[in-house]
Amino acid sequence: MKERIVLCIRNLARHGWRTRIILLIALFGAFLTFLSENILEDISRKQSDMYGRAFAGHFRILAKGIETKNTFGIYHYEPEEMLQPGEIASIKAYLAGLPEVSGSQERIVFSGLVYGVNDAEKGFNGVAMDMDAYNKELSDLFYAKGFPVRGGEADACAPSWSEYEKNKIVEIGKRYVFLLPNREGEYVDRFVTVKGGIDYHTMPKAEIGGVGNVFFDLKGFRSLVGYSQPLASEVIGFLRDARTANRVLPGIAAFLQEQHPRLKVVSWREYAPIFAEIVLGFDVMMRTVEAILIAICVLLVVKLTTFSIIERYSEIGTMRALGFRRADIAFQFALEGFLIIAAGALAGFLLAAGLIETLHITGIHNNLTFFAWVIGDGFSPGFYADKVVVVTGIFLAVAVLAPLLPAAQGSRLSILRTLEKR
Amino acid sequence: MNGITIKGLCKDYRLGKTVVRALKSVDLEIKSGSFACVAGPSGSGKTTLLNMIGLIDAPTKGSVRIAGQDIQSLSELARTRYRSRTLGFIFQSFNLLPVLDVYENIHLPLILHGELSREEKRERVMELVRAVGLEEHVRHKPFELSGGQRQRVAIARALVTHPLIVLADEPTANLDSATGNEVLDLMERINGERGTTFLFSSHDPGIMKRAARIIRLHDGEVQAA
Repeated sequence: MKERIVLCIRNLARHGWRTRIILLIALFGAFLTFLSENILEDISRKQSDMYGRAFAGHFRILAKGIETKNTFGIYHYEPEEMLQPGEIASIKAYLAGLPEVSGSQERIVFSGLVYGVNDAEKGFNGVAMDMDAYNKELSDLFYAKGFPVRGGEADACAPSWSEYEKNKIVEIGKRYVFLLPNREGEYVDRFVTVKGGIDYHTMPKAEIGGVGNVFFDLKGFRSLVGYSQPLASEVIGFLRDARTANRVLPGIAAFLQEQHPRLKVVSWREYAPIFAEIVLGFDVMMRTVEAILIAICVLLVVKLTTFSIIERYSEIGTMRALGFRRADIAFQFALEGFLIIAAGALAGFLLAAGLIETLHITGIHNNLTFFAWVIGDGFSPGFYADKVVVVTGIFLAVAVLAPLLPAAQGSRLSILRTLEKR
Repeated sequence: MNGITIKGLCKDYRLGKTVVRALKSVDLEIKSGSFACVAGPSGSGKTTLLNMIGLIDAPTKGSVRIAGQDIQSLSELARTRYRSRTLGFIFQSFNLLPVLDVYENIHLPLILHGELSREEKRERVMELVRAVGLEEHVRHKPFELSGGQRQRVAIARALVTHPLIVLADEPTANLDSATGNEVLDLMERINGERGTTFLFSSHDPGIMKRAARIIRLHDGEVQAA
C-alpha cells in the first residue's frame, strides 16, 4: 500500500497544474460548504432564539378584517377599524386581571413620510405608543433601551437606530416636516423634532435589532394630528412566560368573541412560519451554491482524471503488461483522485474552521435592518457536530466516487491499445 | 517441455473492410533457456507474435503453450497473474514510469508479490541493480539516465520477478549500436547465468547474429527457424 501511495503522490506532483486545480476546487467547495452549513445552522438557532425573545410572548388585539400576516406589525387598516375608547378600556381591564399577562397598552401603527436630511422624502413605519410605559414596563423588548421622548410630548419622535444610524434619514436634534395620518386617515404635515433614538451604542450587540420605525408618544401623537377621540389601531399585550400562550390566548379569544366580536387576538407567533421561510430561503440559496460547487468539483475531477488517463496510456499498458490487474489500475487512479480531493477538502475545512472561529470571536456586524430581526446583529457562528459530520461525509463521498468512473474506464482499456499510444 | 510451443497461430486485424493477416499459421518450438531472436522487416509480424506469447493480444486461431499450459485458455485474472509470475517484458521505448527512480521502477512489479518480505524484495532489486551496473544511479529518475541505462533498468525490471521467459520487442531499436550491443551482452549474460528464456525481436542484422537462434518472419509466416 505504501508503494501505491508513493506512486500516487509522485504522479500527483508530476501533473502539477491538474493537481492544483482539483486541490483548489476541493478546497473551495469544502470551504464554502463547511462555512455555509455551520452559518446556516447558526442562523437557524439564532433566529429561533431571537424569535423566542422578541415575539413569542407578545400578542395584539385588533379588528378582524385587518390582515397582519407578512406585515411585521405595519399593517393597513381603515379608520373605522380602529379600536374605540370603550373597547380599549374593556380589553385592558380584562388583561389586567390575567396573572399570565405582564402588561398591555394601546398603539397606533401607521405609515408616514418625512422630508428629512437635504429635504429628501423618505417613507417610514410609525408606531405611536405610551412612551412612559414603554420605557418602564417594556424594557424586555430587545430594541427598547433608553429613550428620551416622554409621555405627552406632541412634536417629538424617536427614530429607531437604523433610521438615523444606518439610513441617515434624520439627524438627532433637528426638526423636520413629517406627513402623518389623522383620525380620518388623511395625511397632515407637522413639524416634529427628532429628539433621540434608541441608545444603539450602549446596547449589547446581540440585542440590537428593530425595523426602521419612528416612535411617537401616543397621547402626543393624537394631539399632534388631531384625534377627537383616543382611538388606537391595536392593543398589545405581553405574556410573562411565552410558553403560556397556548393556554392564555384561547381565553382572550373567547373573551373577545363574547364581548367584542369584531375584534380578534393575533399571536406574534404568526411570524414563526415567515422566519422559517426566510431561513429556508437561506438554506435553499446556500445549498444550491453548495450543490453547484460539488457538481463542478465532481465534473472537473472526472474530466481531469480522464485527461490524466489519456496522458498515461502507455503507463497503464506497461503496468498491465507487468501483471497489474484492471482493479489495480482502477485503484491507482481512484486513490490519486481520493488523495487530492481529500487533501483539498481538508485544507478547505481548516480554512473554514479558522474563519468560523474568527467570526465567533469578532462576530459579524449586520446592519441590514430586516435581517437584524431574523439573525441579529453581531451573530457569531460556531461549529455544529452534525454539520461537521455531514460535510465530511459529503466530501468523502465526492473523493471516493468522483474518480471512480474514469478510473474504471482507464482500467478497461486494452493493453495493446495503451502500449501502442505514445 | 518447459519451453514455448506455438501451433497454427493466426492473427487477423481489421482495418475498415480490409482484413490484414499479421500472422499466418505460425508453428514454433522454443526451448526453455533459449536466447532467440524473432527477425524480419517491419510489418512481418514480429511484435504481433511477441504480443501473442505475452498475452497482450489474443490470436484469431491457434494456440500458445508455455510449459505445457495453453495460455490462451486462461481467464483474464489468470492471464494477468501469468504475466506477473511467468513473463517479463522489455519494450522498445523502455516504458519506465517517469515519476519513479531506478530502484522504484525495478521494484514496481514486486508490488504484486505480497508473498515476498520487504527485505527479500530489496535484495532482489539491489541484486539486479548491481547486475545491470546501475548502483550509482539507483536514485536517479529515468530522465536523468541515458538510453542504454534506461534499457538496463527495463531489463532489471523484467527480471525482478524471476520470470521463465523475457519478451523483448526491439530492445535495441532506440539505442546506438554500441549501447545496443551492451544491452545484448547483459541479456546474454543473464540468459547464461539464470537460464531465463529470452525472446527478442529485431530487424538489425548486427543484433540478430548475437542470438543463439533466429526465427525469421516474413509477411506473417515463419521462413526459417
